[in-house]
Amino acid sequence: MKNKGKLLAVPGLLWLGIFFVIPLLFVVILAFSQRGVYGEIIYTFTLENFSRFFEPLYIQIFFESLIVAVATTLICLLLGYPLAYMITRVNPKWQNAWLLIVMLPFWINFLVRSYAWVIILRSQGLVNTFLQSIGLIDQPLTLLYTPGAVLLGMVYALLPFIILPIYVSLEQLDRKKLEAAYDLGASPLKAFWHVTLPLSMPGVISGSILVFVSSLGMFVVPDIMGGAKSALFGNIIQNQFLSARDWPFGSALSMVVVLFSIILIFLYYRATQSQEKLEGRG
Amino acid sequence: MRLAKAFVPIVMSTILVLTGCAGSGSGGEEKKVLNIYSWADNFNPDVIKDFEQKFGAKVNYDTFGSNEEMLAKLQAGGGQYDLIQPSDYMVKAMINLNLLEELDKSKIPNVENLQDNFKNPPYDPESKHSIVYMSGVTGIAYNKKYIKEAPDSWEDLWNPEYKGRVVLMDDNREVIGMSLKKNGFSNSSVEETELNKAFVDLKALVPNILAFDTNTIKQKFITEETWIGTVWSGDASFIAAENPDIGYVVPKEGGTIFADTYAIPKAGKNKELAHEFINYMMDPEVSVKNYEYIGYSNPNAKALPLHSEEYRNNTMINLSPEELSRTEWLGDVGENLKVYDRLWTELKSGR
Repeated sequence: MKNKGKLLAVPGLLWLGIFFVIPLLFVVILAFSQRGVYGEIIYTFTLENFSRFFEPLYIQIFFESLIVAVATTLICLLLGYPLAYMITRVNPKWQNAWLLIVMLPFWINFLVRSYAWVIILRSQGLVNTFLQSIGLIDQPLTLLYTPGAVLLGMVYALLPFIILPIYVSLEQLDRKKLEAAYDLGASPLKAFWHVTLPLSMPGVISGSILVFVSSLGMFVVPDIMGGAKSALFGNIIQNQFLSARDWPFGSALSMVVVLFSIILIFLYYRATQSQEKLEGRG
Repeated sequence: MRLAKAFVPIVMSTILVLTGCAGSGSGGEEKKVLNIYSWADNFNPDVIKDFEQKFGAKVNYDTFGSNEEMLAKLQAGGGQYDLIQPSDYMVKAMINLNLLEELDKSKIPNVENLQDNFKNPPYDPESKHSIVYMSGVTGIAYNKKYIKEAPDSWEDLWNPEYKGRVVLMDDNREVIGMSLKKNGFSNSSVEETELNKAFVDLKALVPNILAFDTNTIKQKFITEETWIGTVWSGDASFIAAENPDIGYVVPKEGGTIFADTYAIPKAGKNKELAHEFINYMMDPEVSVKNYEYIGYSNPNAKALPLHSEEYRNNTMINLSPEELSRTEWLGDVGENLKVYDRLWTELKSGR
């Protein structure tokens, strides 16, 4: 029986091997290669691409991107957690409808949705036209092509990624534990703090990692909603593959993001394992 | 965690959507097939249909969004294309990378129709590997509603009154080249002092910049989000057709001239048909039908008298010889592209 189960995994493993492991290996090889004069790739081993990353310019952009990613994750968490919590509390027959609404935007191409934001926020956009027509402002507000617009776009794009895992965690939470807390005299707030929140941490952490890692590599939002004015790390990587024709450097920068993500996921596993041990399941 | 597992495919597929996957396919028939790889909307579809009928051929048309995207695909060995349309500086790079076939001019007798000034471009001496398809100049487009006095210098973009209203192309060569021109240098300078001067000036321009944009720059002018900025002449003509307040000038310091070309990749299968296609497109009457549709300047010397009056009088499509005399091609900077990219990154880093 055990072997049969393994056989069923073969298509999935093949998929991962062909579309994930092999491309990743290419990136690794490229990261240690050199750029030719005309942008061709010279397969001579070098560490130069990585030493370039440590130049203050790129380190600074990396840290700025980290800050944007942390901000995006925190805002998503603050917006997403209460929403996920609410969805688990509504009448079960409405739950699916709510989940559908959360996932609905994915049915429309992300690029199209980003341009929709441009139409909403630009100086003759919906928001400015409305505010002007009710006489609240004389001059259109600068809503687009600002750091705030980038943050808005990121949160908008990634919010569902945190709602869904948190919803899953909260949904399977053992209500008996909450009842026990109430029986022992815990206030609703205390019960939430000591029971609900710790038990939903796996969802919070996995959702946060999804959002954080995705926002670290994001380049469409800063381009379209930020007016391409302040480059994030994803934009720098994109530039290396296009205008700079420097695939080796771009690959090295991608590796930095990959390594960073791996470290985060490793920490996540450590955290969840200790969590499970606490609950006596480990 | 059963439910969580059910969500994994959803989450993964959304990641795919986020990263934007694109695929393309092409079908083959018994007929001769010409695979073209070019910019979007670069031909009048009727002209393509005429060609298909006349030569009993089938034309497949794939598009790219930038020269670099096209180069990447060809270098990776993806796609067997018979005819491509790289821009000037990319022609030079592709010749150096040995990707372009030398053209057999005996099969393109219509090449004689080309205007003399396009017969020996600096990026491809004697047009051995490429023929100019269309050309334009990067100049200043501005909205007369907000800018009362017509600009005549790149310097005008720095006017503090245009704070947050200037749009620049999202292209390191165009933008740094513009600032180099403003200072009276070559747009392809690799001199450190000249590049630094251009960079310091660009840094000072940042407060005026609304956005860097190449793909949707036309919409930004039409909706009047931007008042003034760097625009290709052909785009300016398109914008002016939608918004009559738009003016266009080639600044006194001169602008960058660019061209898209016909070229045949070494890996192409049907080089014979590709030559026939180029020759057909360079027929004066065919070219008139084509360029009236795409709205770019026709480099065909014999075609100008055949064009409509409206087309001939459009000063954004047909720049004056005086304006053209002040233009410069972008040269391939080779290794120094790294320097350009670094300055570009620094410009956008807020340092």
